[in-house]
Amino acid sequence: MISKKVILTGSFGVGKTSIFNQFLFQKFSDKYLTTIGVKVNKKTVEAKGQEVSLLVWDIAGEVTQDKVPTSYFLGASGIIYVMDLSRPLTFEKLDSDIAYLEELLPGAAIKIVGNKKDLLSKEELLEAQQNISKKLDAITSAKTGENIPDLFLNLAEELV
Amino acid sequence: MTKGNHINDEERALERLKDILLKKDRAELEEIRSILHSQEKLTEKVKPILLDHFEFFKENFSHEYESIINELIDKKLKQSEQELLDLIYPSLGKMISKYVTLQMTTLKESIESTVKSKFSFGRSIKSFFTGVKESDLIIANANVSTVEEVYLIQRDSGILLASASNNESMDKDVVAGMLTAIKSFVEDAFNKDAQDLEMIEYGSYKIIIRSYYSFYIAMAISGALSSTEQNNLAENIDTFASNELKSFKGRYESSSAEISKLLEHQFIV
Repeated sequence: MISKKVILTGSFGVGKTSIFNQFLFQKFSDKYLTTIGVKVNKKTVEAKGQEVSLLVWDIAGEVTQDKVPTSYFLGASGIIYVMDLSRPLTFEKLDSDIAYLEELLPGAAIKIVGNKKDLLSKEELLEAQQNISKKLDAITSAKTGENIPDLFLNLAEELV
Repeated sequence: MTKGNHINDEERALERLKDILLKKDRAELEEIRSILHSQEKLTEKVKPILLDHFEFFKENFSHEYESIINELIDKKLKQSEQELLDLIYPSLGKMISKYVTLQMTTLKESIESTVKSKFSFGRSIKSFFTGVKESDLIIANANVSTVEEVYLIQRDSGILLASASNNESMDKDVVAGMLTAIKSFVEDAFNKDAQDLEMIEYGSYKIIIRSYYSFYIAMAISGALSSTEQNNLAENIDTFASNELKSFKGRYESSSAEISKLLEHQFIV
């Protein structure tokens, strides 16, 4: 079995902890409790016939990624950058944030995720996607769990 | 005059006599009734009496009722003994444990200081033949510090490379990750001269951390730990890192089981 460090990051209130809880415990809560510092947990998935232990770091949200302590990112093999599809403000810094992360962790797999799909109609979802400067790797709903397991599985396969 | 007329006359005379004799009493009775049926008047009359009584009650409460209240408290305490213990015990236990640990640490440091400053021929001889330190001989019974867990952790990622433990704790990968997160946070928040976090204290637990280039070793210890013991442990960890781990350089992850055995042999057993 191999172990990989995965970072969940993005602006505050985008649903990082909800994705974390949905992936690890298949649970969702409507209560918003802001993450203080960082929370770490792990889950083992099978990717390409191999067991991969994903050590997931759920980091407190920051408006821009350069405000997150750099030591949290060190040694990470994968990054999940989360945005709230219902709040355009959360994808305004996408280009500069991704450029910063690519420079900080060259070689790390980065997944760009639009979350809170359940809050948008089809038309609103299309409109949101048009306003996002990069192609989304996954459109998820931490509330319903839609596309969450696939997101981590795809990432694990990329890391193997 | 008939007999009936005679009785009526007597009754009237009696009534008149009653009117004359009881006039004052009846007036007073009427006054009392009017007071009783009027809340305002009644309050006016009773209030001073009650106030006096309250004053008396305040001044003499402990004297008059002390024994009764003590009996009631005793009875209630006996009835709720278990509930009280449940409430007090957790806090009391922690306080005692912390206090004992602190006292043991002070005691050890004091003994070590005495050993350093005062020579004892007998103790030195025994120490020489048994190979046990003099301070350890003196406090053999009081030496309660135990290495509970040792972790070898990848420095940047926080991925657990190897571990050994005295007991079944929570998921060791998660412990390693959280330790790294705490370490990163503290070093980022307070680090001005590229220093590393070296110690975390939690109640009677201490976690000694020794950081190296690509990994760090964290050791959880329970019980009293004097500064000398702490320094000795740190030295042992450094020696282990430079001597034992040298041969695993670049393949720590794939040698996890082997390194875990070494950690257990060196620090736990």
